[in-house]
Amino acid sequence: MNVIFQSTYYTLYQANKERCFYLDFGQKTVRMSLCQLLSLRHKVMSIAIEDHFDSELNTHGFEILMLCNKEHLFILNTLELLDLKNLVENGFMAIGLSTKPMVVGQ
Amino acid sequence: MKDIARQSMSIKVESMDLLNGQIKMEAHASATYLAMASWCEQNGFFTSAKFFFKQAEEEREHMMKIFNFLVDTGGNPISPEVTGINHDYSSIVDVFESTLEHEVKVTKSIHNIVKKAREAGDIATERFLDWFVMEQIEEENTIRDILDMIEVTGTEGVGLQMIDNQVANWIE
Ligand SMILES: [Fe+2]
Ligand SMILES: [Fe+2]
Repeated sequence: MNVIFQSTYYTLYQANKERCFYLDFGQKTVRMSLCQLLSLRHKVMSIAIEDHFDSELNTHGFEILMLCNKEHLFILNTLELLDLKNLVENGFMAIGLSTKPMVVGQ
Repeated sequence: MKDIARQSMSIKVESMDLLNGQIKMEAHASATYLAMASWCEQNGFFTSAKFFFKQAEEEREHMMKIFNFLVDTGGNPISPEVTGINHDYSSIVDVFESTLEHEVKVTKSIHNIVKKAREAGDIATERFLDWFVMEQIEEENTIRDILDMIEVTGTEGVGLQMIDNQVANWIE
């Protein structure tokens, strides 16, 4: 297995023989197809992280994340979510499916 | 390292995100035209209602075209949430003016995706959108022609009913 990207809490691997990816969440490692990785990306990107800084919109600062067609359930706090967002962004860049964000005004 | 990602997906995720946004926009257009058809039916503009029923169908076809492109390229198409559909129009002129406004918005959005795809070197997405660029020219032109016809006919007296009858010319 090759490491694709490592953030503070998480590591994304590629398994060449199995043609899939592994995401190490610390307590648990989850096997994912690219479709499932895309779906994770969609869920993570759809989370309104700003709400975590408003005690009325998100009282506890947690988010429930269900992955791989409800096979796995994670409860993540604000820092973990920001880190997962970072992993997703950099991970997709590393696997070549995302272009680097354009620097505006250059 | 094997390029498993590229072998599974042939466009960039940024293009995919923009195309999912476009799916939503086409769905919104379809729902808006359905609302316009409803307004036309309720206000006695039966030919215009037919026109908008057909437009609603076409917009759904546009949406499905993009949806299927994302399927074909190995992306993750998202079924859109459609909210905030306006049902209030002050007149039939208002209906067609809103339609043109809406189509111009769609055109701008498509042009933006073409530009972004070009910047990212995503030739597949750029080429896929060729059809939409041409389709938008046609759609804008249709509505402009109808607005010109409204202008010439005038809304006084039987003008409104004449306008409605003439809309038939734009239903293929
Ligand atoms: Fe359309
Ligand atoms: Fe349209």
